[in-house]
Amino acid sequence: MTVRRKLWLIGVSHHSAPVELRERLAFEDEAAGAASRKLLALPGLEECALVSTCNRVELVACADPAKIDARAVGDLLAGERGVPAAELRSYLYVHEDCSAVQHLFRVASSLDSMVVGEPQILGQLKSSYDAAVEAGTAGTILHRMFHKSFSVAKRVRSETGIGGRNVSVSSVAVDLAAQIFESLGEKTALVIGAGKMAELTARHFRSRGIGGLIFANRTFDRAVELARELHGTTVPFDDLARYLPLADVVIGSTAANEVLLTADAVGEALRERSYRPTFLIDLGVPRNFDPRINDLRNVYLYDIDDLRGVIGENRGERQREALRAEEIVRSEVDSFWRWFQNLDVIPTIVGLRGKADGICRRELERTLGSLRQLGDEERKSIEAMAQAIVNKILHEPISRLKRIDDARAQDVQVARRLFGLDDDE
Amino acid sequence: MDALLLGIVLVLYLTSAASFVAYLGAGREPRRSLGPMLLAAGAALHGLEIAERSFMVGHIAVASFDEGLSFLAFSLVILYLLIDRRHVLTVLGAVIVPLAALLVAISALVSSGTTALPPALRSAWLPVHVTLAFLGNAVFALAFATSLVYLFEDGRLKSKRPALRRRLFPSLEKLDDLNHRLLAWGFPLLTLGIVTGAIWAHLAWGEFWSWEARQTWSLVTWSLYALLLHGRSVGWRGRRAATLTIVGFAVLVMSFVSVNLFFPGRHAGSFGS
Repeated sequence: MTVRRKLWLIGVSHHSAPVELRERLAFEDEAAGAASRKLLALPGLEECALVSTCNRVELVACADPAKIDARAVGDLLAGERGVPAAELRSYLYVHEDCSAVQHLFRVASSLDSMVVGEPQILGQLKSSYDAAVEAGTAGTILHRMFHKSFSVAKRVRSETGIGGRNVSVSSVAVDLAAQIFESLGEKTALVIGAGKMAELTARHFRSRGIGGLIFANRTFDRAVELARELHGTTVPFDDLARYLPLADVVIGSTAANEVLLTADAVGEALRERSYRPTFLIDLGVPRNFDPRINDLRNVYLYDIDDLRGVIGENRGERQREALRAEEIVRSEVDSFWRWFQNLDVIPTIVGLRGKADGICRRELERTLGSLRQLGDEERKSIEAMAQAIVNKILHEPISRLKRIDDARAQDVQVARRLFGLDDDE
Repeated sequence: MDALLLGIVLVLYLTSAASFVAYLGAGREPRRSLGPMLLAAGAALHGLEIAERSFMVGHIAVASFDEGLSFLAFSLVILYLLIDRRHVLTVLGAVIVPLAALLVAISALVSSGTTALPPALRSAWLPVHVTLAFLGNAVFALAFATSLVYLFEDGRLKSKRPALRRRLFPSLEKLDDLNHRLLAWGFPLLTLGIVTGAIWAHLAWGEFWSWEARQTWSLVTWSLYALLLHGRSVGWRGRRAATLTIVGFAVLVMSFVSVNLFFPGRHAGSFGS
């Protein structure tokens, strides 16, 4: 009787494969469920769940190691999406047992993400798992493995600062504003320019609850369009100076070659707003605002390089926190792995008993067959003695197996190996 | 007994200070409450110690230099605990609590035992004058701490190395607002302290104002804070307000220390004439 299962993970990710392949291979949740069912029909697969995001396509599975064929799985995945099997094969990686558990936990904790610490992956993982549950391809072991990965991810998020710092220009700009202003709700941002960066940053300020948005652009129509979309107002580009005192945040993002705001102009506006703090964000290259503006009292000027500097700091912080997260993942993998190995205890005891009883029965038959002169009484004594020997020998190992604790979980595997329980007969 | 109690208070303040600073350094959520809890325990014992002393001498125990320091530390801690309940200002705690611990430590070092006032000076005006004056000082000390944090954050922002930890470092706007409110509380307290002092002096010595060093210094401090409060209404906010608050507090400390150490007078504990 073979009970030994293997945890198994096969797939491609942004570490191994180019985006061009990943996007061709990606599965929708429904398609993933259907594919999982087909995969389950392959020999050796007992449970499986397909995880598919824009950065990875991975199959998490519980399989019989004697029958599983990685190549067949890979080929089926490729076939499902019309990707040449040979092409996919060169990008596939396989993780087994501990390493598979660790990989899934790291993915869930966003340690394997392209942007380490990004929060979306957990939700994507959950919906992949739900799809597998719906398709009926996940069983006891995958249930446990996925649920554990979710709780590990939560632990990592709450105990480390891995997702704590923003790493994009526009979100860092809003963070800085929040360090200056207590609440953005009563603040007004003046956005000069209507390009992609201007829009993105304005959008970020809007989503973090900025009170008012004023747009100014050389092409007035574009400003009107943006203002309508983001619930803002527009002012004429040539009239900027008049509206400057209203703005707590000024975002400059034009391709202009001359300086849009001089230190004098800002100083003037500052007096008019009686030195209430002003935050200027210069996203332009070349710069839109005179760098000397930063020297004014209660004024903070960040150009694109300054913002990138902060992002670099934040990245470093995430990296440091990622190290602590790895520790958490390691210890959780250990505890999951012990649980998984303990799953084998009962089948091991049953197997041990079965094997010993079989030997006992065969040897008795052989011996008693050659001793035909014995009476029933004597036969019974000999049978009883043989059974007693088996019981006495097995007593110690079995009671020890039953008492096995987490720390000695590997003893189960030792027992299986010593008694040859996994050998094919 | 007194010394033992004060010793325990000091230990509690010091561990609380360490916890505040450690929390600030690590920046993690879980044990944020430890600092305030230790501080509250210390404050309770501290209050007990002051009450006991006061009971022994029969009037509020602020007659000597060390008693004054201890009472100031006590007011500071109580005020901080009150503000922290509403605003959760760990970073202020990391400035205020070590300061309070320092005051208690100095107080314990220079302790000259209890000083009882001559019966002629015991009047209801004593606790009123002293409480108002010390509360005013404590409020200014808090304003000083907010200003220090303000300048720190302002400097980091200006030099493009911002302290982006909202939970630990309040926004500049919040600090500036707090600074304003503290000044608005501290100033009337200081004013009342001066007025009640004058009344008490009149009752005890028959004169409202004697131009002793302490009184002169308080007038200087008062004018500074008056100027700052006025200035706030015409745009002296942010960095300038913070800088002036620090200057005002420096003058306050100088007057407190120098008068007690170098200019013997009624406020230095020698209430003879």
